[in-house]
Amino acid sequence: MNTVVAGITYRALLGRRRVVLLLLLPLALIALALMFSFFGGEDQRTTVDLMRGFALSTLLPLLGLIAGTGVIAPEIDDGTIIHLMSKPISRPVIARTKFVVAASLVAVFAAVPTYLAAWILVGSEDGIASGFAVGTLVAGIAYAAVFLLLGVVTRHAVTIGIIYALVWEALVGSLVPGARRFSIQQWGQTVADQITTSPFFEAEVSLGFAVPALIIVTLAAVFLTGRRLRSYSLTGDE
Amino acid sequence: MSEIYDIGYRHYDGPRLGRAHTTLALGVHSLRGVFGLGRPARSKIMPFSLAAVMMFPVVVSIAMMALVQQRLGDYSGYAVVMQAVIAIFLASQSPTVVAPDLRHRVLPLYLSRPVTIAEYVGAKVAAMTVAMFLLVAVPLTVMFIGDLLVDLPGPPPTGEYLGAVAMAAVLSVLLSTIGLALAALTPRRGLGVASVITVYLLSTGAAPMIFAALYSTGHDAAAAWAWLINPFWLVDAVQAGLFGTTQHIPEGSYPGGPVPALIVLALIAAAVAVLAARYRKAAAQ
Repeated sequence: MNTVVAGITYRALLGRRRVVLLLLLPLALIALALMFSFFGGEDQRTTVDLMRGFALSTLLPLLGLIAGTGVIAPEIDDGTIIHLMSKPISRPVIARTKFVVAASLVAVFAAVPTYLAAWILVGSEDGIASGFAVGTLVAGIAYAAVFLLLGVVTRHAVTIGIIYALVWEALVGSLVPGARRFSIQQWGQTVADQITTSPFFEAEVSLGFAVPALIIVTLAAVFLTGRRLRSYSLTGDE
Repeated sequence: MSEIYDIGYRHYDGPRLGRAHTTLALGVHSLRGVFGLGRPARSKIMPFSLAAVMMFPVVVSIAMMALVQQRLGDYSGYAVVMQAVIAIFLASQSPTVVAPDLRHRVLPLYLSRPVTIAEYVGAKVAAMTVAMFLLVAVPLTVMFIGDLLVDLPGPPPTGEYLGAVAMAAVLSVLLSTIGLALAALTPRRGLGVASVITVYLLSTGAAPMIFAALYSTGHDAAAAWAWLINPFWLVDAVQAGLFGTTQHIPEGSYPGGPVPALIVLALIAAAVAVLAARYRKAAAQ
């Protein structure tokens, strides 16, 4: 952890117009929740649908993507990463710092709004709000780590990340049941299911698989990011 | 001709091809850039693999027509079914059209030549529009040719095919203006990709949610409007209004009348206005 690098990264992501992109998604979620409660659809079923169909499946992967790639990919893109890499800071420390920044952004912009949106609809009934907030948080941290790794591996990190989130998790996951075991979203749902007692919500992956998978994926992605940065070579712009 | 200054080199006496030629050259260059032509191989991977994915249902459909004498899907619903791929193509490729010139601040260099800012933006929008149109219309055309060759019983669906191609043109103008307007807001490519896909996913995720919320509480008429949030369903609504084709939505139906078409025009106008404002500022830098 290096506080100076963390500070610079926060400023790069939250500065001026870029914060709009991070705010757009949570605001849309809360607006949807307010609209649901205005039209009187505030039962547990709609809440679970909103949480599962929007918060976990659209908001979370996108925010993980924007935060995870956003902490490092723009610097690689415009070549300013060279100033960071030429400083006497260990590369794994840079990777860990970037990961902590990305994870904290996901916590603020995904987990907190998820809690708020669920709380607007059903209050603290059956632990739906806290369950989904914790599920979003752990899955968001894993997403941040995976997309950070993707950001240092390829220049098409955002596009590939979207294809993973959209095609693999949404399309393949809904058609091939076995693929659901290898989806970060599903692991997050499993964690959420442990906390909430709502009868409308059932996770599909067992806890014994989801928790080790989340931990291994997160740690491995951060470790590999550090490895990759240690022997990083800057390639020219296309 | 506006030249900056004359430092005494021998003058060019050959034919001057004029502004139209410059604009055309800029448009063709941008169009080639969208597909990564004239750029390294790694820029070609993404557009061509997405274009290949677009062909996938066409191949399956032709095979089904030939083997079991059945159409897989209809022409009018192709863009709606493939919307995720089209949106990913738009998001990943529209920043390549606008971002490099903005990032390297070379607009004043373009503008030191006779080309005007309107022609520059027009060429970029035209290039992206043609690229999006090719992405949708080429698979449709291949499917139609396959349909004619297999020669299923009954008349060929020529009208529906032509309607779908016309709507592909409308869709590509709508998508490319919105996509370029969003991508031009940031000079960074990654952020451009993220902002375009965020707006698409927000519209796709929110539309069924809003529909369900309104429908379940008895606001049926208002619920129909929710589908128009997504650009693909919006164009599908225009198509259904014009040609009476099937409505490709999970449930409910579109609002009728000329309003969907007016929304399309308003969105295009708004996106063009954003582009104009953005480039007026960029040109002054």
